[in-house]
Amino acid sequence: MTRGVPDTAEALGMVRAGVFGFVCCEVLLTSFSDLGRLPVTVLRPTGVMRLLPWGFYERLLTPASMSAFKWLFAAALLAATAGALTSVSTKAAAVLFLFYQGLLRSFTHFNHDEMPAAYILLVLAFTPCGDAFSLDALRGGRRALPGGSWVYGYPVLLARLLLAWSYFTSALIKLRVAGLGYLSADNLPALAVSNSLDNMHDTQFRAALWLPAYREYTPPLVALVVLWELLFPLAVWLPRARAVILTIGVLFHLGTLFIMNIFFPYHLAMYLVFVDWPRVVGKARGLLLSRFGAREPGAA
Amino acid sequence: MTGDVREPTYEGTRRLRVRYALLTAALFAPLLYSFLAVRNVYPFAASTMMMAGGDLGRGASYYRLRGENASGEIIDLPPAELTDALSWRHWSLVGETVKNRQFTIYKPHPANDTLAASAGGVEKLPRAARLAELLRAWGGIYNSRLPDGSPRRLRAVRLEAYRWEGGAYGDYERFVESWRVEL
Repeated sequence: MTRGVPDTAEALGMVRAGVFGFVCCEVLLTSFSDLGRLPVTVLRPTGVMRLLPWGFYERLLTPASMSAFKWLFAAALLAATAGALTSVSTKAAAVLFLFYQGLLRSFTHFNHDEMPAAYILLVLAFTPCGDAFSLDALRGGRRALPGGSWVYGYPVLLARLLLAWSYFTSALIKLRVAGLGYLSADNLPALAVSNSLDNMHDTQFRAALWLPAYREYTPPLVALVVLWELLFPLAVWLPRARAVILTIGVLFHLGTLFIMNIFFPYHLAMYLVFVDWPRVVGKARGLLLSRFGAREPGAA
Repeated sequence: MTGDVREPTYEGTRRLRVRYALLTAALFAPLLYSFLAVRNVYPFAASTMMMAGGDLGRGASYYRLRGENASGEIIDLPPAELTDALSWRHWSLVGETVKNRQFTIYKPHPANDTLAASAGGVEKLPRAARLAELLRAWGGIYNSRLPDGSPRRLRAVRLEAYRWEGGAYGDYERFVESWRVEL
């Protein structure tokens, strides 16, 4: 089952560092105190967020409380990225991420951008992702487990499957809800135009306004996107398909950014679970050694 | 024998297998339900973004946030520059606030309940009953980044609603209404 999936403690450790590191950077670059200035009366708690009492939200949604939350969250993420007290820090960071994303969705709407990342953080939190490439391993507190490649390969496989699920079900739901009507000539132009008129989106690209002139060419493009989403699971196991599917994925997300002002940065960032990092590092090291290594001993 | 899954024994390996199986089920069972029911129940998403596609006949209602600064200039005020935590999702915050959705959730905030009761019911509330607070908060965030006395400080924030009626590509900017708050 884990065929084609990197299955060493080092590979899982590198995925941990990459995923938690990305979220950590995102959190550090975001102003939580400004979010804390928004009125609690515009909040609409969603899903499990409804279980929390209003008094909790009132105390949390102040600039000071949100700043304190940010630094607690960042500390947990930083420790998880570095692999310090990994078992505790990854769990704390995953739970705080889940809470934070729930809070954002309680102000706005439920989309699935950050959700595969949330699930992947949870997977990492409950697997031995600190056994290598971590401060814990450096200190000698952890060592790689025996028991076969599945111990470290299965979490990576699960992370890949979760991202693939997001794309695959997205295509199936489109076909279920809209049927072949999804391939109408006005689907993409109308959607793109309606997302390009306000100043509520993070970007205000106006490329969509050119799209109606080429509307008859858009159904094949939309069909290709749906097909690509349906085939995304192939990237989990097949290296050749993976390269093509992930490349199309990068182009797709950049395309939705410029044409529709819609961007899914977390989906893109989670492509890192498809990379065999020890192999990449090994190749990079080999390349550096072949270029500079020969000069080192008494090169002068 | 500690029972720790890290024990390099048969028992430790078995426990790890059970843990992985539970983790897989705990994630995929609710995801499968969300997908089959086409229902988002946080934290489980059904990937419903763009599922209905665009419809030329439907058109679109949309909003522009603007500020009036001390020197009388009208400036564009994209919310993404004010509350970056809500990146890529401000449009629904504004849209839902205009529609008073905060009053129709399962358990509204007590202050919203009180406001609705004083109006004689949710249906009798004016549109955008909580919008002024939101606009004031955004104006406050913008001004907090400027020194006192700066001509760039805002004296008012306003939200303008527009409508693209659909049916044809063009005539996208029919002005509908606006809301304005003094800071």
